[in-house]
Amino acid sequence: MPNVIETHKLSKRFGQRIAVDSLDLQVAAGEIYGFLGPNGAGKTTTIAMLLALVKPTSGQAFVLGYDIQKNASEALQGVGAMVEAPAFYPYLSGWDNLRVFASAAGLPNSAIERALSMVDLSTRAKDKFRTYSQGMKQRLGIAAALLHDPKLIILDEPTNGLDPAGTVELRELIRSLAADGRTVFISSHLLHEVEHICSRVAILKSGKIVREGAVADLLKRDQGLLLDLASEHERAAQLLRQLAWVADVRVVGKQLEVEAPSERAAELNMFLAQQGIAVSGIRARESSLEELFLELTQTTS
Amino acid sequence: MLIKLLKAEWIKLVHRPMTKTLLLIFLLMTALILSLYFVVVGLALGSFGFQVALFNPVQIEQYRLQLSFPGMFGAILGQVNGIGGICAIIITAGAIGSEYNWGTLRAQLARQPNRAMYLTAKLIAIMLLLLIAILLAQALGLVLAFVFGGLLGSVGSVNAGDLINLPIAILRSLYVLLPYVLFTAACSIFGRSVLAGTAGGMIFLTTDLVLGGLSFLPNTDGLLAFVYSLLVQQNINSLVVRNAYSFGLDPSIALSRFLDLAILPSQLQAVIVIAVYCLSFGATAYYWFLKRDLTGAA
Repeated sequence: MPNVIETHKLSKRFGQRIAVDSLDLQVAAGEIYGFLGPNGAGKTTTIAMLLALVKPTSGQAFVLGYDIQKNASEALQGVGAMVEAPAFYPYLSGWDNLRVFASAAGLPNSAIERALSMVDLSTRAKDKFRTYSQGMKQRLGIAAALLHDPKLIILDEPTNGLDPAGTVELRELIRSLAADGRTVFISSHLLHEVEHICSRVAILKSGKIVREGAVADLLKRDQGLLLDLASEHERAAQLLRQLAWVADVRVVGKQLEVEAPSERAAELNMFLAQQGIAVSGIRARESSLEELFLELTQTTS
Repeated sequence: MLIKLLKAEWIKLVHRPMTKTLLLIFLLMTALILSLYFVVVGLALGSFGFQVALFNPVQIEQYRLQLSFPGMFGAILGQVNGIGGICAIIITAGAIGSEYNWGTLRAQLARQPNRAMYLTAKLIAIMLLLLIAILLAQALGLVLAFVFGGLLGSVGSVNAGDLINLPIAILRSLYVLLPYVLFTAACSIFGRSVLAGTAGGMIFLTTDLVLGGLSFLPNTDGLLAFVYSLLVQQNINSLVVRNAYSFGLDPSIALSRFLDLAILPSQLQAVIVIAVYCLSFGATAYYWFLKRDLTGAA
């Protein structure tokens, strides 16, 4: 698959502070890509560089195959974006706000109707933006991003202010956008949501990617096994610790948490059986993305 | 592309309550000033049943001419440089600075990254709005000329020469607003806010008026007089006074003896000096707008 976003050693420095540090990023067409990181990790600066709002100090960024520094107009024709908070003119209605964007892009009113209906905002379209709730503002921001039917959609914290039902609707909307062949690049703090909708994620810390890959792979990596035993938990733990390929064993209630490669599950089961210990259940232990995120971003830099 | 952006800018400008409020203030202030002229002339001519001469007869005649045709055209355009300048500063600061305050600039430029085109469309939209304000003021002047002129016994008349002069005079009025618009734009962009633009524009306007008020300087010889003739206000005055003269008015009698074409810069110099100011303010505005990153939330 061709890459819709590609960066090479992309860096941004503000004075002495390095906001983004030699970032290499590849987002393939049709992916839902999660861009994660704590506050100040460099997510928004990276997005701003992808949208030609901020000039990189060094490195290159390609969006839809165009060098964003040289061909920003061509690149951004196919991009719909919402950066940070949804920003609109408070004295205009939702409809008129979209009309501003549609006029600048030469789009017909039907594009506004379509975008509003996609985010379920048609009934409040004629109300002033300043009267909207945070969730409605967020949805209008997404409608503006979808206005010109872009190939790549970049959403910075799209679930901010959305209620649980709105979050579920947005998740479905993002899935449907990707199902139509669009690429969705999401920066979010809601790791549970990202875990459910993203095919791949990158975790950013201090401007650098500390982990990147398919969500399923990231959650399986270095996770180990969970064993259900009826009895002899302590003896089983002592025996397993003697194996070279077992890093650690913890007894948690009637279970054993074993830090070992998940592909050695059968070997482990056989070993315990030979020692006369019956294993009633064995499965790979998967931690959540949230656990992985905290583990990666809270370690000392 | 420019037309599309212009359309978008126009929606933003005309729907903004501040625009309508400023337009209303401009028209009301213009009407109020002309009403005061009417009272002054009426008192001098005894139109209200008694006679009070606040000015000498030559000055009263000048005020009377401003209340009938074709002088009303010149009187209205005279207000454009005063109240109109302040309104132009506020509109420009609002149109550019608010985009930073609301964060809408990032949203706009994330879709349309040609910043030079974006700023050009915005400035053209502002100038178009100012043109419409001048035309509306002229329409108001038309009504006032019939009312005040009628009450004072002479509405006056308009000949072909006046009709030819009118569009030229309107262009002169627009041209003298351009330095204020561009300076305010540069300040709004530099300060990334409405406040920076308004403050910068007002300080520029005030400083220029104060310097322009040092009216003894043209009477000195050499460098001081030369520097004085390069002040933007002197050159603006030169064009504004020409507008008044073209409609039979003489501001050197009605307002100040220093508003005399004999001591003001020539029209050619005025056009060139104002163009130099505009180029430097405009270039600064474009340089900052094109060069600087759009970082962080508003």
